[in-house]
Amino acid sequence: MMKHVAERCLAALLAGLCLLLFAPGTGLAQSSIVIGHPACLSGKYAKAGEQAVGGIKACVQWVNQEYGGISIDGEKHKLEYKVYDSESKKESVTSLIGRLITVDKVDVVFSAYSSGLTLRGAPITESHNMLYMDHGGANNKIFEQGFDYVVQTIGPATSYHKGTLDMIKQIAPEDKRVALAYEDSEFARMVMEGAENYAEELGFNVVFKRTYPSGVNDLTPLLNAMKAADPDFVLGGGHYEDGQLFCSQMADMDFNVKALSLIASATLPAFYEALGTNAEGVMGPSHWEMGVTFSEESAKEKGLPWIGPSQEEFISLFKENTDKNMKPDYHAAEAGAQVLAYALGVEKAGSTDSDKVRKALGDLEFMSFYGGWDVNENGMQVGHTMVNIQWQDSKRALVWPESAQTSKPVYPMPTFQEKDQGAVAVPE
Amino acid sequence: MMRTLDKYAAIFPVLVVYAVLFLLGLNMSGMWQLMATLLFYCALGQAFNIFLGMTGYVDFGYVAFVGMGTYGMAVTITSLAGTGLGGLTIIAGYIMALAFSGLLSLAVGAVALRLRGAYFAIATIGVNEGLRFLIEGTNLWGGSGGIIFTRQLNDILGKDASSALATFWADVLVLIIAVLAAITTIVYMRSKIGYALTALREDEDAAKVMGINVTMFKILAFMTSACFAGLLGATAWALKTPYVFPPEVFEIHYTIEAIIIVMLGGAGTLLGPVAGGLIYGIGKYVLSIVLPGFQLLIFAPLIIIIIVAFPDGVVGGIRNKFGHTALGRFIL
Repeated sequence: MMKHVAERCLAALLAGLCLLLFAPGTGLAQSSIVIGHPACLSGKYAKAGEQAVGGIKACVQWVNQEYGGISIDGEKHKLEYKVYDSESKKESVTSLIGRLITVDKVDVVFSAYSSGLTLRGAPITESHNMLYMDHGGANNKIFEQGFDYVVQTIGPATSYHKGTLDMIKQIAPEDKRVALAYEDSEFARMVMEGAENYAEELGFNVVFKRTYPSGVNDLTPLLNAMKAADPDFVLGGGHYEDGQLFCSQMADMDFNVKALSLIASATLPAFYEALGTNAEGVMGPSHWEMGVTFSEESAKEKGLPWIGPSQEEFISLFKENTDKNMKPDYHAAEAGAQVLAYALGVEKAGSTDSDKVRKALGDLEFMSFYGGWDVNENGMQVGHTMVNIQWQDSKRALVWPESAQTSKPVYPMPTFQEKDQGAVAVPE
Repeated sequence: MMRTLDKYAAIFPVLVVYAVLFLLGLNMSGMWQLMATLLFYCALGQAFNIFLGMTGYVDFGYVAFVGMGTYGMAVTITSLAGTGLGGLTIIAGYIMALAFSGLLSLAVGAVALRLRGAYFAIATIGVNEGLRFLIEGTNLWGGSGGIIFTRQLNDILGKDASSALATFWADVLVLIIAVLAAITTIVYMRSKIGYALTALREDEDAAKVMGINVTMFKILAFMTSACFAGLLGATAWALKTPYVFPPEVFEIHYTIEAIIIVMLGGAGTLLGPVAGGLIYGIGKYVLSIVLPGFQLLIFAPLIIIIIVAFPDGVVGGIRNKFGHTALGRFIL
């Protein structure tokens, strides 16, 4: 008896699912401009995806309420945001982009998170001549494939350590010996390639270069070899776990350098919580951090137009659109800035036509709470500078670029022995 | 003739479902990419079922064969771009994909198929992970940086043809692979191979005593299943998406999906992977639209309910109910 009931319920449920499958798209207001997004709300990129959705919602709200909508030929149009969950899976990305374009008739598609998922969606948007804005795929090679409609907001992976190198060249031009040690992953390798090329361009001497496998649990052989190369400073990292291991094993070996910058780990509060004073003076690049001082004034100084909420407004709008206890990180900021870029692009083009907006975005240059925005002819982001944070007296200080600085960099950082005795990194 | 038709009648529902999917995708606005996804899941289930369903062995490293097929196509395209071979490059890519997945399955099968149960499952996981680390660690085929080859594919076929391949023709090729896998399944089922595999699935030792060369038949099913996986990788993960990153193509999640699809539909049945692929694909798609972010929360108990209601899978359950009726010969 129970089995029959279960079978019938199941049949009804499956029939319901099939009906929903063929249901028409939601009736979005015709005068509104619609952003479509196959977001990563679950799966391996869920954390970044949740942040991105919060950032987009915050900036859509700002455009509609504070900015008054997007102006085309003197007429204001509201922005709407259509989001589905791609589960961080490539199969879902293509089917959802197909639906967003053909059923929901969106005006622009924002990519899912990661280079792989961005690449997965590109052939679909290209075949529909649809503008495809990338806030989560940092791989430079995306922009070497000949796509016509892909425009990037997140900075390319090769630019991650450019700011650190610029900073050291400016504050300690005599220090030339740099060591590079990154995780063996698609993203970190690309960062290393960019760091190596830029270091050579600036006249640094790369005295050590090596990768280590993902999930490594002992870096001492690599660090011993690096120590023998006697670098002035070290750039590296890949993920939180190996970044933490990197720094703690340097401390164990009392291997001191004047600067240590680690990607995707040193910027996290957990890094300091795990390492305590050993984290003092350690740096890390980030696309954006709470506390950056990009403002209307800094835009004016650079001769760039300003758009969007101030940082405080963005944080408040973000919290309004997400869990109140959630703080925005760079994933939220770059996705939000992408909304602002699109709004300006449509206004500049005077149309939502993807070809016209793509062209307008190519000519666009502006600053927002996220920093600068400018793309090259291939659509790759070249206007955004990474910010560099440094742990100073147990707090994260923004030390570079100077336009976003909240504190001077501490260089050289204290030695591990000094840190062991309680020394902290404090600028003079 | 009638006897042959009767023997293979069970293939018709499978072909009808695929034809309906194809026509719906072609004629309904916005449905093509969804149909492509459903076809991918059906093809994955159909290919996996040849081994899991017919032998009862659970291969947790199955995605490695899909990954090797992807690499076969990617390496061929990047190596032959600029040689002027045009469309022949794609054919060469398929040969390479078959060679990669076939040789790997032969090597793995010859060793791992001597193990049974959990030992076999663990060994296959090891192969998958080991292969990924081998590629990354030795910097083989771009190492951890992977291969992105949209530009090379554009150079070979032209931008328009390459775009049509990624957004339409690759999906048609997935459909063909699914149909071929279904035909292979029924041919095996209706031949001595199928009888031998059924015997070893039910009791391997008894089958051995009866004089069946179980190792040979297991390797045959393993290699057939792996070759279809290679073809699927070359099509759905290389031609449709011209890039390959090791963590993505060796992601064990796809093996789990293949197992769910086969178990949902009915392991060892012909129509089961199609039913499983459709339930799995449609369920996830609809829930991701209606309840974005919460679909797995709803879908997981739904899968449990289905498995409780149909312990032999949906098709297995239907066959138990209608197997003795006139419809029975179409439900296999």
